[in-house]
Amino acid sequence: MDFALNDIQQMLKDSAGKFIHNDYDFETRQKHSHSELGYSEDNWQLFAELGWLALPFAEEFGGLDGNATDLMVLMTELGKGLIVEPYLSTVVLAGNAIQRGGTAEQKEALIGGIVGGELKLAFAGLEAQSATDISSISTQASTQSGGVVLNGKKQVVLHAQSADKLVVAARSHNNNGNIALYLVDANADGVAAHHYPTNDGARASDLTFTNVAAELLGDSDDAAAVIQAVLNDAIVAVSAEAVGVMDKMLSATVEYTKVRKQFDVPIAKFQILQHNMVDMFMECEQARSMVYYAAITIGEGNSEEQVAEANKASQFLKWKVGQAARLVGQTAVQLHGGMGVTDELDVGHMFKRLTMINTLFGSMDTHLDNLVKQRQAA
Amino acid sequence: MKVLVTVKRVIDYNVKIRVKPDGSDVDLTNVKMAVNPFCEIAVEEAVRLKEKGIASEIVVVSVGGSEAQEQLRTALALGADRAILVESTANTESLNVAKLLAKVVEQEQPSLVIMGKQAIDSDNNQTGQMLAALCDMPQATFASEVSVADNSVTVTREIDGGLQTLSLQLPAIVTTDLRLNEPRYASLPNIMKAKCKPLATVTPDDLGVTLSAHTQLLGVNPPPQRSAGVKVKSVAELVDKLKNEAKVI
Repeated sequence: MDFALNDIQQMLKDSAGKFIHNDYDFETRQKHSHSELGYSEDNWQLFAELGWLALPFAEEFGGLDGNATDLMVLMTELGKGLIVEPYLSTVVLAGNAIQRGGTAEQKEALIGGIVGGELKLAFAGLEAQSATDISSISTQASTQSGGVVLNGKKQVVLHAQSADKLVVAARSHNNNGNIALYLVDANADGVAAHHYPTNDGARASDLTFTNVAAELLGDSDDAAAVIQAVLNDAIVAVSAEAVGVMDKMLSATVEYTKVRKQFDVPIAKFQILQHNMVDMFMECEQARSMVYYAAITIGEGNSEEQVAEANKASQFLKWKVGQAARLVGQTAVQLHGGMGVTDELDVGHMFKRLTMINTLFGSMDTHLDNLVKQRQAA
Repeated sequence: MKVLVTVKRVIDYNVKIRVKPDGSDVDLTNVKMAVNPFCEIAVEEAVRLKEKGIASEIVVVSVGGSEAQEQLRTALALGADRAILVESTANTESLNVAKLLAKVVEQEQPSLVIMGKQAIDSDNNQTGQMLAALCDMPQATFASEVSVADNSVTVTREIDGGLQTLSLQLPAIVTTDLRLNEPRYASLPNIMKAKCKPLATVTPDDLGVTLSAHTQLLGVNPPPQRSAGVKVKSVAELVDKLKNEAKVI
C-alpha cells in the first residue's frame, strides 16, 4: 500500500510547515494565546486566504472538497505550532456538522462565511453529567410561540468566546428523546457564558441557555449519526495534530540531549536515554500509522458496515494516540529535566496540549473500554 | 510583458547539511529539498508584477533532474503560468546552466528575466551575470527594489555601504537580494490549480547545448566545530581578549 502523500498534499504540508516555521514560533503563539481574543484574527484571515478554512467543505458551497487525509496533513503541521486559532471548533466540529447535517439552504448561508473567515462557530455538545458520552445530555429543545427554544447547560465549549454561532446538541423539540442539532446565535438573548482559558492555552466556555431561540439543523431531529460522523472526523483531526506535537517533542528532545552535558559528555551518549528516545520514535510512528488507517477508513463510505468500521477505527486511534502521547510527553519532560515544565520552554506546553487532546472526544481508557465491551458483545 | 523566472532545487534551508563520509560531496540521501529562497523571492516579484498588471505571463525554468518538477509545481502554485524543465543532471555548473538558460531566453523572448542572486547550496552567485553576458542583456544584481515602467526597469541594488539605483532598458536581467520582498505561502486553491498548469520538459540536446565540465569538485569539508566559550572575570579581561586573542578591536 502506498502511503506517500500526493503532490497536492505534499505542497499543502510544505506551505503549512513554512507558515509555522516562519510566522508561528513559540513566543508568537504565547502572545496570541495570552491576548484578549486568545488567538490572532490576522492569522485567521490568512487561513481563509490560504484555503485552509475551505479544505473539508463541498465545492458547491465554496469549499475545496478535501478528504480526511488532506485534513490529516494540515492538522499535523498545525500541531507543530500548537496553534490556538479556532480551527477545530469552527471547521472540524461545527462547520462539519453543518456540512453533514444541514439543509442546502443552511449550508448555502453558513459555509461561505466559514470559508471566507467571516464566520466562526463552536460546537456545544457535552454537559457536566455526560463526561465524554454525547448521548447523556439533558439540554432540551421545546416549541414556544411557533418557534424552537433551548434550555440547559453546556460545559467546556471550545472557542465559544469567539464564535458567532453555536451548533448545540439537545433533546428534540418533538419530545421523542432524539438528540438533534440546533443553530443558535452566540449573542442571542438567553445565552449566558462563562469564558476561561484552558490548560493548554486555548479558550473554552460554560454556557447556559434560557429560552434561547434556536433553529433545527437539517430536516431531521435525529442527529445521532451526524454527531458520530463529526466526532470520528474530529478524532482523526486532533490525533493528526497530536502526531505533529509529538514529532516536535521528539526532535526537541533529541536536539536537547545532544547539547546538555553531564560528566563532560552530551547526555545523548547515554544508552538508556537513547533507548527512551527510540521508544518515543516508535510511539510517534505507530500513532502516525493509526492516523493513516483511521483517516482512510472513515472516508470509505456510508454503508452500515463501513460506518461500524469507521467508528471502530476512530476508537482504536484515540486509544493508540492517547497511549503514545502519554509516553512521548512524559519522556520528553523527563529528559529535559526541570526545564521541561517551565512556562518559558515549549515542551511543557506541548505536553499540556497532548493531555488536553487525550481528554477530548473520549479518553484512551473510555475508548479501550468501549472496544472491549463491543468485542465481548460480538 | 513576459517575465521569465529561474528556479533551483536545493536542500531546504532548515536542514542541517551532512557531508558524505568520504568528503566527496554533500549527502543528499533522504534530505528535504525545496525551492532556493532567492529564487522564491524572484517568483514572488514576478507574481507581484503580474498582479499590478505589468506582467502578462510568468514562465518558470529550472535545470535539473526530473525531481525538480516538484519545485516548478511550487512556483506554479505561487502564481507562475507555465514551467519548463531542462532535464539534466550532469555538469550543472553555473556556466552550463547559463548556456541552457540563454537558449530558453532565445526561444521565449521574455522582456524581463528575474533570478535569485545565488543558490544556497553552492553560493556561486554567477549564473545571472553569465546569462546577461551570453544574452547581451543589461543586468542589475542584488535587487532590493524593482519597478518597471514603459520600456525600462529601475532597480535599487544593495551594495557595500549603501544603495545604488540603476535604470535598465528592457529586456534585462535582474537578480534578487533577500530584502526585495517576502514570498507568500502557496494557497490551497492555487496548489490545486498548479497541477493543471503546463510543464514542458526539454533536454540540453533539444536546446542544442553541449555540456562540458569546466571545474572539478575535489572535496567537501564540513565547517570546523565551534569550540566552547569561556567566562571572563572583568570587562578589562574581555577587552584584552578581543584585542589580543580575537584581534577584532
